[in-house]
Amino acid sequence: MEEAVKTEQKKTSRKRKKTKGRFDYTLLIVIMILIVFGLVMIYSTSYYTASTKYDNPAYWVIRQGMFAAVGFVAMLWLSGRDYHVWWKYSWLLFIVVNLMLAYVLLFGRVVNGAKRWLYIGPFSIQPSEVAKLALILSYAKLLTVNINKIAKLKYMITASILMAIPIILVGIENLSTAIILVAIAAIMLYVSAPKKKPLIILALAALGMLFVFYNLGGKEYRGGRFEIWLDPFANEDGYQTVQSLYAIGSGGLLGKGLGQSLQKLGFVPEAHNDMIFSIICEELGFVGAIGVIVLYLLLLIRLYRVVLRVQDLYGALIVIGAMAHIGIQVFVNIAVVTNTIPNTGVPLPFISYGGTSIAFLLCEMGVVMSVARTMQREE
Amino acid sequence: MNGYYLYQRRHTTLYIIILLLVAGFLIGRLFYIMVFQSSEYERMAKELHERQREIKAPRGLIYDRNGVVLANNRSVCTISVIHSQLKDEAKVIEVLSSYLEMDKEAVRKKVEKVSSREKIKSNVDKELAEKIRAYHLAGVMIDEDYKRTYPFDSLASKVLGFTGGDNQGIVGLEVQYEDVLMGTPGYILTLTDAGGKRVEHSAESRQEAIAGDNLITSLDYNIQTYAEQAAYKVKKEKNAKSVSVIVCNPQNGEIYACVNVPEYNLNEPFTLGEDVKTEGLSAEEKQNLCNQMWRNEVVNDTYEPGSTFKVVTATAALEEHVVKVTDSFFCPGYKIVEDRRIRCHKAGGHGAETFKEGVMNSCNPVFMEVGERVGAKNMYKYYKRLGLFEKTGIDVPGEASSIMHKLENVKAVELATMSFGQSFQITPFQLIRAVSAVVNGGTLITPHFGVAVEDSETKEVRKLTYPTKSGAVSAETSQTMRELLEAVVSEGSGKNAKLSGYAIGGKTATSEKLPRGNARYISSFLGFAPTDNPSVMVLLLINEPEGIYYGGTIAAPVVGDIFHNILPYLNVEKTRPEEEETKETNIIITD
Repeated sequence: MEEAVKTEQKKTSRKRKKTKGRFDYTLLIVIMILIVFGLVMIYSTSYYTASTKYDNPAYWVIRQGMFAAVGFVAMLWLSGRDYHVWWKYSWLLFIVVNLMLAYVLLFGRVVNGAKRWLYIGPFSIQPSEVAKLALILSYAKLLTVNINKIAKLKYMITASILMAIPIILVGIENLSTAIILVAIAAIMLYVSAPKKKPLIILALAALGMLFVFYNLGGKEYRGGRFEIWLDPFANEDGYQTVQSLYAIGSGGLLGKGLGQSLQKLGFVPEAHNDMIFSIICEELGFVGAIGVIVLYLLLLIRLYRVVLRVQDLYGALIVIGAMAHIGIQVFVNIAVVTNTIPNTGVPLPFISYGGTSIAFLLCEMGVVMSVARTMQREE
Repeated sequence: MNGYYLYQRRHTTLYIIILLLVAGFLIGRLFYIMVFQSSEYERMAKELHERQREIKAPRGLIYDRNGVVLANNRSVCTISVIHSQLKDEAKVIEVLSSYLEMDKEAVRKKVEKVSSREKIKSNVDKELAEKIRAYHLAGVMIDEDYKRTYPFDSLASKVLGFTGGDNQGIVGLEVQYEDVLMGTPGYILTLTDAGGKRVEHSAESRQEAIAGDNLITSLDYNIQTYAEQAAYKVKKEKNAKSVSVIVCNPQNGEIYACVNVPEYNLNEPFTLGEDVKTEGLSAEEKQNLCNQMWRNEVVNDTYEPGSTFKVVTATAALEEHVVKVTDSFFCPGYKIVEDRRIRCHKAGGHGAETFKEGVMNSCNPVFMEVGERVGAKNMYKYYKRLGLFEKTGIDVPGEASSIMHKLENVKAVELATMSFGQSFQITPFQLIRAVSAVVNGGTLITPHFGVAVEDSETKEVRKLTYPTKSGAVSAETSQTMRELLEAVVSEGSGKNAKLSGYAIGGKTATSEKLPRGNARYISSFLGFAPTDNPSVMVLLLINEPEGIYYGGTIAAPVVGDIFHNILPYLNVEKTRPEEEETKETNIIITD
């Protein structure tokens, strides 16, 4: 079996030259544009609510800005460090993340009816956001170590169960993040695994688990989200979706202009959070929305380029994890605000308000950049 | 270190392709929402964002013929609260209840009611509203409104009518010309946030209110005032129940004055007269008394015209050529009709007299005889020509219809009584209209108040037109009738309306009200001038006078007095030789 796998192992025949230390500036610029654009949009969407609520229009943008700054510095620092350092700490990270998730489940503070926050002194962090990065790193190691056994169903199941433990811990309180994690894990697994049959079996198992969650665990998913999705206008709880559609529809082709949204005046609840894309549509129109989507595609294609050009599987899997993370989150978010899928609370990467999210996402990008330095360049 | 296989890149490629497809699909979805559904969502969102406030439109003014404002507007305020914007409810309740002099609990109930907007009080004086505004209470809205005011309180009250709480016409010209007077309200669209608070610095879209158009009436403030004074004077002298005066132009139907005393105060239309006892009356009974008070009797009520109606009988007879002015008659003081002996008002009879003298004496047997000659069928033909079976079309609401015998029921007795104006009922305006046609050369006019509408914006004046019908009476008959009626005033029963130098025609009447035998009368006089080409006609009705009740004695002098004042004012020329002023007022003249 292993031999069979090995025969498939073909290194690219194209001649490549290692250019160690070469920095991917395009990637950096795309990320910087996204961060700055995100801050502008957070200010635009939140200043009205912030000034009525905190008497400080910049309340949220300043907080987000601080986290982004910290994250940006961390990103640059991480990009300069060899990512293999995480290889060593991957198991430790995995255990720490699981402990943290368990801790927050048991002792976390309840905010908005869900235990999601961990308080360390004056800071509050969302362990589920930390989990995304930590799990990408540890999954990458898990899959790399077992890459030659993974074709076997037995190993695949073992790996899956291991991967599922933190996801279940997240999913008890926060199903939408768990779904993102499942998607990340699944994509990483899919990319690693040579055979499709075990994957299909796993996929069916995952669907079965989702079904169990839907009926037992995921309290978010009760209350007829499916019905709301089918006709948000007929349902009182469809308010958020309806307001989001109003905002998107009001944007039209060219939008109302930056800062001109009316839906952010309390109509779209917490417009600077998960629903921020709807306000982007309202203010910048279809053209602006396309611009944002193109930026994300640019980022994803840039990451794809890295995957194609690195030699190291561990590095490649980290980048694939990041691609899965960003890609899934962006399109699930847009699909939710446009009522293309049932409502689930997923932030728009780099743009939505969320300190832990932006800081750790930037750390993730730092690691990705570090991988990108090992890219081979075509002659 | 570890295997990195081609298939892994392939899988990544597949993933990126799927992402691109999803992106494409979502872009399509966005395009659909933002282009095809855009206008619908935008409209729905707009409804959510905008709070509409109405701007009241001022009601059009009512003018008299010379531009005197008879109905005006005063700025008042409507005070309401917007629940979602309230901050200090206790203070709002305190301030509103004390300034508006309202029960605290009633105010509390309205303030605490969760509604988008709750009206606390309307028609609040602007000054008072400004005091409340000075408190800058969050959630308290003060909107300007207009309240109708009538500068002359009771002048022409029963013609003008008044308006209700929403400035809508209730009675009179106010309701008749509602469409003209009523303005188009404007609105202010204010952008609000989800909490209903106005978005600062947001542009308000404002649609200004369009004031209602102004109504120019034919009423003449001076004539109306004088007629009203004269009516009050005679009402007091004769302790009459009511007195009505109509002054109009018999050529075109324009009404210069329409008085029904007692009038009521248009600014307080629900306040009954001082002499009305309201104690112990139910709300419904009080309302009925109000309705009674608002009646425009000369339009809404009918009466037996009595001898003034002899004008119609004489006209029919002359038109049918069954009598000549010089024909001789003999009045023994009564006439036997079938089995009845119908008396003349002069007990001993007028003896031998010509038709002209019969008219001057208002001799009942002469008219019974003449009426008999005309016959019921022909008589009805002239009634019809003179518009007695139809409403006059006057431009105030609630015009009454005449009450007439059916033609087949008109036997000799009915015909005889009808000849001198009894056993049927018409409105005073129907009489005015019929006599106008008789004296103006035969044109049936429509009596009216509204003469023109002035656009409040462009000041463009649009004349109102009313139907006329010529040929009701021949020119000769008209001429003869004017002469006969002038003789009534110059030498006959209408002497008391005589005015030196002026050619005045007229006819007196005294009709006993139904049921007969209660000694309740309506004394009246109908006069016009100048007889050569009548330009003004006056009808005066004294309802239930005490003491002497003959129209020639009590009504004619009042009309004479009114003519004395208004003929020079209306530039009616003196065409008759002036006599020495030997005015013998209040000579008892029976008719």
